[in-house]
Amino acid sequence: MKLSTIQSDAIQELGNIGAAHAATTLSQMLGSTIEMSVPAVNVVDLSHLAEYMGEESAAMVAFELQGDIPHGGYILFYITRESAIRMTNTMLGLTETNRPLSEMDESALLEVGNIMVSAFLDATAELLGFVMLPSPPALTIDMAHAAMQSLIAQMQEETNEVLLFSTELTCEEYKVDSDIIMMPERSTLNKIIELLENLMKTG
Amino acid sequence: MIGIGEYRVGSFPMMTIGLGSCIGLVMFDPNLNLGAMVHIMLPESSGRMDRPGKYADTAVPLLVRELNALGCKNRSILAKMIGGASMFEYFGTNLNIGERNAEKVRMMLIEHHIQLAAEDVGGKFGRSVTFFPVENGKVVVRRADGTANNI
Repeated sequence: MKLSTIQSDAIQELGNIGAAHAATTLSQMLGSTIEMSVPAVNVVDLSHLAEYMGEESAAMVAFELQGDIPHGGYILFYITRESAIRMTNTMLGLTETNRPLSEMDESALLEVGNIMVSAFLDATAELLGFVMLPSPPALTIDMAHAAMQSLIAQMQEETNEVLLFSTELTCEEYKVDSDIIMMPERSTLNKIIELLENLMKTG
Repeated sequence: MIGIGEYRVGSFPMMTIGLGSCIGLVMFDPNLNLGAMVHIMLPESSGRMDRPGKYADTAVPLLVRELNALGCKNRSILAKMIGGASMFEYFGTNLNIGERNAEKVRMMLIEHHIQLAAEDVGGKFGRSVTFFPVENGKVVVRRADGTANNI
C-alpha cells in the first residue's frame, strides 16, 4: 500500500478537520484548553505493529465504521491508563490518581470516546458527503498492542498492512494525553481518497 | 521480538508482546535444547502462502518442518500455546477469533501428533510471552497489571 504525498496530505487535512471538532468537545468536557498535533498517516506492516502500539496499559474505546459502507474499518479513542485516571478525576471531581478504574470511570471513558468520535465523524462526513457512523462503543483497558491486534484480526478485508491515521489531543492543565486513531478497510480508504481527490479538483 | 505472523527457530530466548486474540505458539525438543515460536493471527490461511506464520493451519506445519529439519522427532516435540483472548466484549460476541485460533491450533497439533504440554488461553486480557527453549521450554506469561506466571 503506497500513498502519494498528495493523498497523504489530503488524509492529513481530513484528520485535521475531524480532530479539531473532537478537540472542541473534549475542551468543553474538561473545561480546559486542548492542543492538537498534526495528524500522522502511517502505513504499518502487521509484523511491525509493536513499534506503534506496545505493552503500555491503555484504555481504548473502539467503534466500527458503519454508514454508507457497512464495515468500513475501525476508529478508536486511545488514552493511556494514567491519563485516563487524570481525565476521569477531572470530570468526576476526584483527586486520587493511584487507584483502580471503577465502573464510573469506564462509563465516563465510553461517553468521552463516543462524543469525540461522533464529532470527528460528523465533521468528516460533512466535508466528504460520505456518511461514516460509529457502531456502539466497545471498551478495553489493557495492553494497547493486544487490543489493536484484536481489531485488525477482525477486519473484513484480509491484509498484511494497515493504515493508521492518528491525531494526538493533549490537555496541558490536567496532563491528559490521548489519540484518535482511524484504521479504515482498504476499500473505505480508497473511497475516502477518491472523494478527497474530487474535492480538490472542484475546489 | 517476534511480530505478528513472524517466527523464529533456535535455542535463544524468544519474546512476543501484546497477544490479544492472537496466539503465541511455542514448540521445543527438551532433548535437543531447540525451540521455535510463532505469532499467529487468524485460524485459516484459505490458500494464502505469503505469510505462513500468520495462520494457525500453516503455522503449525511450518514449525514442525523447521524443527524436523534440525533433527527433532515429532514424538519428542512439546508445544505450549498462549493468547486467544477476547479483548472487546461488544465485538467479541459475534466473532470470537481468539477462541477459533486456539481451537484450530489444538486440531493442527493433534493432526501432527505434537503433544500440547501447557496452555494459557482465553479471558479478556492481553498477554506478553518470553520463551526459553533451553530451560526445558519455560514460558513466562505477563499481563498488563504486571502479574506473571510460568507455564
